[in-house]
Amino acid sequence: MTTAHTPAGPHASLDDPGVRIEDILRESIVEAVPVGRTERQAEFYTLRDGEMLLNMGPHHPATHGVLRVVLKIDGERVVDIDPVLGYLHRGVEKLCENADYHQAICYTDPLEYISSLFCEWAPVMAFEKLLDVQVPRRAEYIRVMATELNRIASHVLTMGFFALDLGGITPVLYGFIERDEIMEMLASLTGQKLLFNYMRIGGVNGDLNHDFLSRLGDWMSHAARQIEANAGLMNENEILVRRARGLGVLDGDTCLRMAVTGPNIRASGLPFDVRRSHPYSIFPELDFDIPTRNEGDCLARYLLRVDEVKQSLRIIDQCLHQMPDGPVMAKLPRLVRPRPGRAFAAVEGPRGMYAAYVISDGTDQPFRMRIHDPSFVHLQLVTLLTPGNLVADTMAIMASLDPVMGGVDK
Amino acid sequence: MSTVPGSGIVRGMALTFRRFFEPKATVRYPEVRPEIAPRNRGRLQLLHDENGHLKCETCFQCAQACPIECIDMGGVDTRGRYNVHWGPAETYGERREEAALRRSGRPVPDAAFASFAEVDLGPVSAVLVAHDHDPAHMLGILEETQAAYGYLPVAALRHISFATGAWYAMVYGTASYYRQFRLAPPADGDPALAAADRRPSEASFLSALDAALGMGPRPAPGNARTGDAAGPRA
Amino acid sequence: MTMAAVTWQRLRPVGRLLAVLVPILLALGLVSVGAIILAGPLAAGFVGDNVPLVRFVAAVTAVILLSIPTAFIVIFLELKVIARMNLRIGPERVGPYGGAMSVVHGLKVLAKEDFTPLGVDVTVFTMAPIVTFVGAIMTMLVIPFAPGLFGLDLNIGLLYLFAMSGLTVVGLLMAGWSSFNKYSLLGGLRSAAQMVSYEIPLTLSLVGIVLLAGTMSLNQLVLGQSGSFLDWNIWKQPLAFLIFFIAGTAEANRTPFDLTEADSELVGGFATEYSGMRFGFFFFAEYVNVFIVSALLVTFFLGGWTAPIAWPFAVTMPSLDPLGLGVGLLLGIAALPVVGTLILAAPFWLSSKITTLQALVIGFILFNVVAVGLVIGYAFVSFDWVVGLFWFFAKAYAFVFLFIWMRATLPRVRIDQLMGFAWKWLLPAALLNIFVTAAAITIVSK
Repeated sequence: MTTAHTPAGPHASLDDPGVRIEDILRESIVEAVPVGRTERQAEFYTLRDGEMLLNMGPHHPATHGVLRVVLKIDGERVVDIDPVLGYLHRGVEKLCENADYHQAICYTDPLEYISSLFCEWAPVMAFEKLLDVQVPRRAEYIRVMATELNRIASHVLTMGFFALDLGGITPVLYGFIERDEIMEMLASLTGQKLLFNYMRIGGVNGDLNHDFLSRLGDWMSHAARQIEANAGLMNENEILVRRARGLGVLDGDTCLRMAVTGPNIRASGLPFDVRRSHPYSIFPELDFDIPTRNEGDCLARYLLRVDEVKQSLRIIDQCLHQMPDGPVMAKLPRLVRPRPGRAFAAVEGPRGMYAAYVISDGTDQPFRMRIHDPSFVHLQLVTLLTPGNLVADTMAIMASLDPVMGGVDK
Repeated sequence: MSTVPGSGIVRGMALTFRRFFEPKATVRYPEVRPEIAPRNRGRLQLLHDENGHLKCETCFQCAQACPIECIDMGGVDTRGRYNVHWGPAETYGERREEAALRRSGRPVPDAAFASFAEVDLGPVSAVLVAHDHDPAHMLGILEETQAAYGYLPVAALRHISFATGAWYAMVYGTASYYRQFRLAPPADGDPALAAADRRPSEASFLSALDAALGMGPRPAPGNARTGDAAGPRA
Repeated sequence: MTMAAVTWQRLRPVGRLLAVLVPILLALGLVSVGAIILAGPLAAGFVGDNVPLVRFVAAVTAVILLSIPTAFIVIFLELKVIARMNLRIGPERVGPYGGAMSVVHGLKVLAKEDFTPLGVDVTVFTMAPIVTFVGAIMTMLVIPFAPGLFGLDLNIGLLYLFAMSGLTVVGLLMAGWSSFNKYSLLGGLRSAAQMVSYEIPLTLSLVGIVLLAGTMSLNQLVLGQSGSFLDWNIWKQPLAFLIFFIAGTAEANRTPFDLTEADSELVGGFATEYSGMRFGFFFFAEYVNVFIVSALLVTFFLGGWTAPIAWPFAVTMPSLDPLGLGVGLLLGIAALPVVGTLILAAPFWLSSKITTLQALVIGFILFNVVAVGLVIGYAFVSFDWVVGLFWFFAKAYAFVFLFIWMRATLPRVRIDQLMGFAWKWLLPAALLNIFVTAAAITIVSK
């Protein structure tokens, strides 16, 4: 019997019953420390005494998508952090360059799947600037209304996920109830539930309809109360407040240095909002405030979103009252060929400034197209804010910055 | 935040307790179907008018506008409306070259669709007549068809299935079960050619030798490979 | 070919199975009968000589058997209550009102692959769930469920309790250490730190009660609280109740102190690498722990199985002597269901919309409901332990509901806040409680 168990060749065969695959695999487990390719990586992967690397993601419940974060921890304390991107890269910008202008819109949709309408709006506005198209006023009002609805849908979800990452399981489900109502509403307006593909060059695809308006009216009657009540579950909770207050403080200088936009910069006291700073569409005619907070910590970033939801409700209300009559699409040929040139357009999304930069070479396809996504910018802050805090705080900081991986990896 | 410690927690607990008795948001799906908005375009389907006729005119505009080209249709003409279908996957190959040209500026040849190419069905019809279209003689039919074409083209298999009444799955199963049948053109039918394929340097050497000796060109290697016996390709 | 082989070939599969099974069963039966005849007197003598040991074995068996349905009920409550608080419905497809959901979960866990990852310390990895489970359920041994219905009446019941609940930590630490996974390691160490810290206020908070009652036996503690709800310890020791409640939540690893398996931070904590029934043991232990902490709260502070108010009027049931009825008993057993069914079906049968068969079925179901209700009512009135069980479980499951309610509402605390809370607030408070209680006792006794 002993001869049967001796490996026949220089290598043990897996067909040999005397060889167990576990033994072979166990030998192959080694302490694999990645070799740093850059100075920063070399420094990161050099462990001092008592430190250990903890690999979070790309499939971790708290990384909101396929983000991989390598934590260097000393006990529970995070010494350093290294986000690793690229697990959701789809090459959207390159795909847009291979499609004509109309087709490119729908590629930008899934960039930020939480708030798709904004990802359409920025490139569409850039195309309109290239083509020098005048968008009908009714279309602008519909666009503003739909995007503000989408902003609310995104914010309620963000607030819920912030609470979920701090361990509360209920707020995210309340948030999803609101979001589901808004998504159904937008589905009756745009025809799709997640990736709306609603914006068109020179207008929108389809006018307001009765179904949408009746759903919107139903929802508006209780939305403010409901969202306020849902937020009240968490934002006065002592456990959450004690955890989030003073955590991950982001000051104004850092915000400006790191090109932070959106709620994150407004929570640090700087009232930067593209809708007011670089007005577009019909926002100059609308009456709304830019809420700011001065603390700059996770709690401020969380509470600021509650305030923004109220302002969005105000905007929707005004849009409904001031909605003009008229067409919703400008007259445009089926195949558009803008003159050679370049255009930049930015919109204020729920996470910050979405922008598109398009270069035309006179053909029916964009020559180059770049998309600026706020999530990518904000993810850099994780490296800045996290070291020195605990492992549990990493999730809180990441959730309060609210990056969406679809936008980060493009 | 209020001054009394714990009041926030108590208020949260009160909210969840109230929600315990409130009506629920769950939709019991198979019994209760959610209302789909009239504008919903989440589904590819052909619409009928009030007379029960298909509204689709087979104008291909939807397929042309589709950015990711997921719409593909095989239409006959606008009068034969009932023949409009958006059917099997192989019709995708019909417009494949054109689409590839338009999108990337170069054709994308795909060997996977070569086997669906049409062949001259004359030889296989003769074989079928000789066997009286009897599916019981399937082995013989297939052997003679292979003798006629050099391999078993998919079009011939389809024709055999159609003419004998045997299921295509049976015909294909028979053809793929026996060792002697080939479903692709023989790569090594001509030993010399195969050798030339494997050693291109030798082939170029031979041609250079021929040129130096003033001999005529050898037979072009391409003919036998694409199936000379199989007749012209469509 | 022999006769036997021919017969064997003619048999169908069922027949073959029977042909194999029947002799084996017969042989087993004979052997057991013989064993009973031979060893019966010996065993009876052994039982008579070692009543405590036999009682212990029986109690342990009962506790293990009790823990499974307890875990099922608590898991089902958790699914359903949290769902309703989340404005969801929760399980409702499996069983009536979704009631069999947790049972199906248990079966699923049994059927899953029991996977041992590479690199784990196999022995420790296998032992850890068992240690945790045993540590959890053995605590139930000293809990008095009803008058006379307890596993053991240890005079050091409290010490036994804390010794056993300390075992749980060892199990979690074993699981975290042996799993060859950094998340598990963090979870295991977190659990060690957390539970060791919270054991201290948990234990100290009960010293006041022990001082008042002068006993460590749980049964005596409950008996000392009998009377009305004004006699319960919660009025005498409100601070101790609060400390015990908070520390007990941490001991049971419940939200807001569920750091050991914080799913948004540590994926699954100590249980990350476990699957199949080994994970099931952890899962069961966790939910049995919830029940145990609730039961202990009830036992120490809410009077255990005693009723909140004494029954206002004495009810004496006529004592039934079933054998005294003679043949009438047989007739009653035979006739009562039929008569009852017919009587209860009559009103439905008279209404025109229901067919005779449907009316009979409804009548039969109603009869069963009424009969079971009568039996339970009779038992409730005439047996002490039924009343005790009722009150005990009512109070305990009220606390289970409270724990689930908290889980549905609260977020999780951070590890440094958790430790700081235990050492800076709970421990001084517990010491203060002891001091105040001792001083009060001294003053009153003088």
